[in-house]
Amino acid sequence: MKRVHNPGNIIKKQICQFLAPRVRSIIESLPQDLLSKTEEIRLRHSRPLIIYWAGGESYLGKRGPVASVKEAYMVSGEDLERTLELISSYSLYACEEEMRGGYLTIPGGHRVGLGGRFVVESGSIKTLRNVSSLNFRVARQIKGAGEKVLPFLIDRHVGRIYHTLVISPPLGGKTTLLRDLARLISNGVGILGQGGQKVGIVDERSEIAGCYQGVPQLDVGIRTDVLDACPKAEGIMIMLRSLSPQVIITDEIGREEDIRALEDAVHVGVSVIASAHGSTLEEICRRPVLGLMLENNYFERLVFLSNSRGPGTLEMIVEGERGLPLYSARSIRE
Amino acid sequence: MYLKMSGAALIILAAYLFGLNLSLMYYNRVRLLEELLMALEMFLTEVNYGLTPLPQAFLSIAKKINRPVGSLFFDAARLMQQNRGLSACECWRAALRKNTRELDMPQKNMDLLDRLGSIWGRGDKSGQQRQIVLIQELLRQALGEAQVEHQKNNKICKYLGLLGGMTLVIFLL
Repeated sequence: MKRVHNPGNIIKKQICQFLAPRVRSIIESLPQDLLSKTEEIRLRHSRPLIIYWAGGESYLGKRGPVASVKEAYMVSGEDLERTLELISSYSLYACEEEMRGGYLTIPGGHRVGLGGRFVVESGSIKTLRNVSSLNFRVARQIKGAGEKVLPFLIDRHVGRIYHTLVISPPLGGKTTLLRDLARLISNGVGILGQGGQKVGIVDERSEIAGCYQGVPQLDVGIRTDVLDACPKAEGIMIMLRSLSPQVIITDEIGREEDIRALEDAVHVGVSVIASAHGSTLEEICRRPVLGLMLENNYFERLVFLSNSRGPGTLEMIVEGERGLPLYSARSIRE
Repeated sequence: MYLKMSGAALIILAAYLFGLNLSLMYYNRVRLLEELLMALEMFLTEVNYGLTPLPQAFLSIAKKINRPVGSLFFDAARLMQQNRGLSACECWRAALRKNTRELDMPQKNMDLLDRLGSIWGRGDKSGQQRQIVLIQELLRQALGEAQVEHQKNNKICKYLGLLGGMTLVIFLL
């Protein structure tokens, strides 16, 4: 597996320009090795500036990492306001829809989570005011993340992709795997025994393709169409009607309408690759709608990921109908 | 005699041109305010129908509006696109400073333009629209005043220039 760029450079080149000048200068002065592993940059009103990486965090002072909160740089309201202006390209009016979802996407596919006071009108979120925290999540594409999994997802006789459900706990690498599967299936790899297939991604939370103004910022393949920020159920129907995909990829399914749309896709012969939060098959089976889908054997392959040896650890691949394990990391480790 | 006559003609012409220039100043104020109103109308269209980000909306306006109003929007957009971490207000005010001389407006109107700086990109769509409409209203009032001033002073300036030149010639002769 290879990472696309040096992640430290990604932060300096793609993220720093959206930070308020004082925060920017702090982040820019960090050593390269620290930037390379940084996964999140957290700005919270009147609280210390913190960066997070897998399994750790660091307070940041004006001259770099510091040991205590007292020495850390306290993020001001002005820093937050300026940063929000920069990430919204000076246009909060153009980002209302995304803000209602609690995030904004910036060029490079990085997502900025927003916290603050939500204004609710007639029971639904109208807008977000008084932003009090910002969380920059560094989008990292790991090319090759799906190479190990893909051979188990192909019906080699007809070159068809099996209906697949990727299951993992949060931060388990579901989205990274889906993104790489999209890239591999779309571009075509030798293992498919043919050219690529047309892939449709319904990316409700702009996570898979990391679209900025509708354009994918991450490599999702040359035959891939993306419906960005589109509700899953409607997006799947739009895909089926107008973009004739051979494979539909979407993440975090679970609502009844999502499942109904996926059923439609399955019935018209389009392969579906989806993901769901969970750790074990039992846990998924307990969820009303997903459980029903598994009971009815909609999915032909179940892929389990975990964090046991870092995000994206492939634990198991199971044949959907009979529950036969096709791959098990435990048996390999033993 | 011939020399005196041509000198006198030159003095009258120069004085007339001075008066004309003064009257053009009043006309330019009217034109600039009209163009500013037009630019704000374009901005509202970009916000309403395209949700166009501010820098792109400014560039689009700059392409359609003459200098110096067009330059004002162009310079602000360029500053925003330079990723220097400046706020919209800082970009606008810097562009305003750069174009102050060419804009040549009374302080009251310049204050209005300055006020625009703290409005750009702030708030949601309806909030942005409301703020722009309010500024448009104030600009319309300023335009009305500028038109009255122009009508009042246009002929006066020209005639005063001409008559002033003639008076000077009479004195000199």
